[in-house]
Amino acid sequence: MNYDDETLMAFADGELDELLSAEIASAMERDPALARRVERHRALRAQVAGAYSTVLEQPVPERLLAAANGSAAPTLTGAPQRRAEVLQFPARTPAAEGPRWGTREWAALAASLVLGMLLSWQFIAPSRRAMVTASNGALVASGALARALDSQLASTQRPEDPVQIGLTFRSQDGNYCRSFTLRRAATAGLACRSSGEWRIAVTAGIAASEGGVRQAASPPPAVLSVIESRIAGDALDAAGEENARLGGWDPKRN
Amino acid sequence: MTADTEEISVRLVALLPRLRRFARSLSRNQHDADDLVQLAVERALRAVDQFRAGANLASWMFGIMKNAWIDTCRARGRRAEVALPEDSGEHPAVSPADTDASLWSVSEAMSKLPEEQRLAVALVLVEGMSYKEAAAVLEIPIGTLTSRLARGRSALATALSEEAPA
Repeated sequence: MNYDDETLMAFADGELDELLSAEIASAMERDPALARRVERHRALRAQVAGAYSTVLEQPVPERLLAAANGSAAPTLTGAPQRRAEVLQFPARTPAAEGPRWGTREWAALAASLVLGMLLSWQFIAPSRRAMVTASNGALVASGALARALDSQLASTQRPEDPVQIGLTFRSQDGNYCRSFTLRRAATAGLACRSSGEWRIAVTAGIAASEGGVRQAASPPPAVLSVIESRIAGDALDAAGEENARLGGWDPKRN
Repeated sequence: MTADTEEISVRLVALLPRLRRFARSLSRNQHDADDLVQLAVERALRAVDQFRAGANLASWMFGIMKNAWIDTCRARGRRAEVALPEDSGEHPAVSPADTDASLWSVSEAMSKLPEEQRLAVALVLVEGMSYKEAAAVLEIPIGTLTSRLARGRSALATALSEEAPA
């Protein structure tokens, strides 16, 4: 069976249907020349993708961070109180935005994000009320997120609250941790109490649904795995959550 | 429902490394590539109301970058659409960070492709998009994408094997 080059290219790119793919795969076993043609397509793809992957690891120039933050365009459309609702710590974008990304690319993105967040929110737009700020090398909750973590109870919160509190629990070191969802920023995370601050342990993007972000019933896997690695015993019930709040989230009280 | 400018801003910051990579696969000059990212980001923030909530932001941005890139090429009198003669003495600036030999040789080969082939190669091979997604970004039928991609790949393979015989 003879295959034209476009078909083999599509095969190498994983674009063919299962039937034709299986047919070519078995033909390749019988025909080394065919196998080499497919291999050349794969090798070229890997070479081109590999060459440009280094760009992901380069620091992003400040002028681009400024442009993305709209610093060049002084048109302010949102009301001030709405600004406070916006997450300012994009740790991961939803998977839908990164088709076929490898670990290396995610790692590069994560690294550049932390850099981008620090540059853009600490230096370029310090007047915005950040939900997450850097403090002594750690990321800590501030603004509306810190207020919600301090005072909002999962049992009494309203669905329209910009920050939704999920689970509250004691971690293995005895400190209180609370999972949260930032509705408008489509992000979930976990914050743990340390030295009178809410330290951000993890954040992750959550899939958006029509009409906005899905109400977070269960945290995304990245957050869930951190919760599972830290939790001691069960999550607190409504009474336990309220007691912890009354105690000022101090692990030595209650 | 239109997405809010602030939210798009945050997501754009997160997307910048990928936008830079895409731009770099279109232009081998890093400075020109970053100019393209900046232009596209500025255009995107002015057109936030055209972004459908729930749509793929990367695809939307690549489409804006494609248009901005074509505009830039036209403004330069289509210079970028023809390969530079070998001995023209016109060598685009290469920054010191580009000592990566692989990046250098691949961008050299990419720069010789016609614009339409380079866009197809960039979206599929560099950005890892499916043929369907890439065709949608480029606003062309999938068959057209496939043939551009095949021709671009074939020319790339030839250029790369000539440069560094294995």
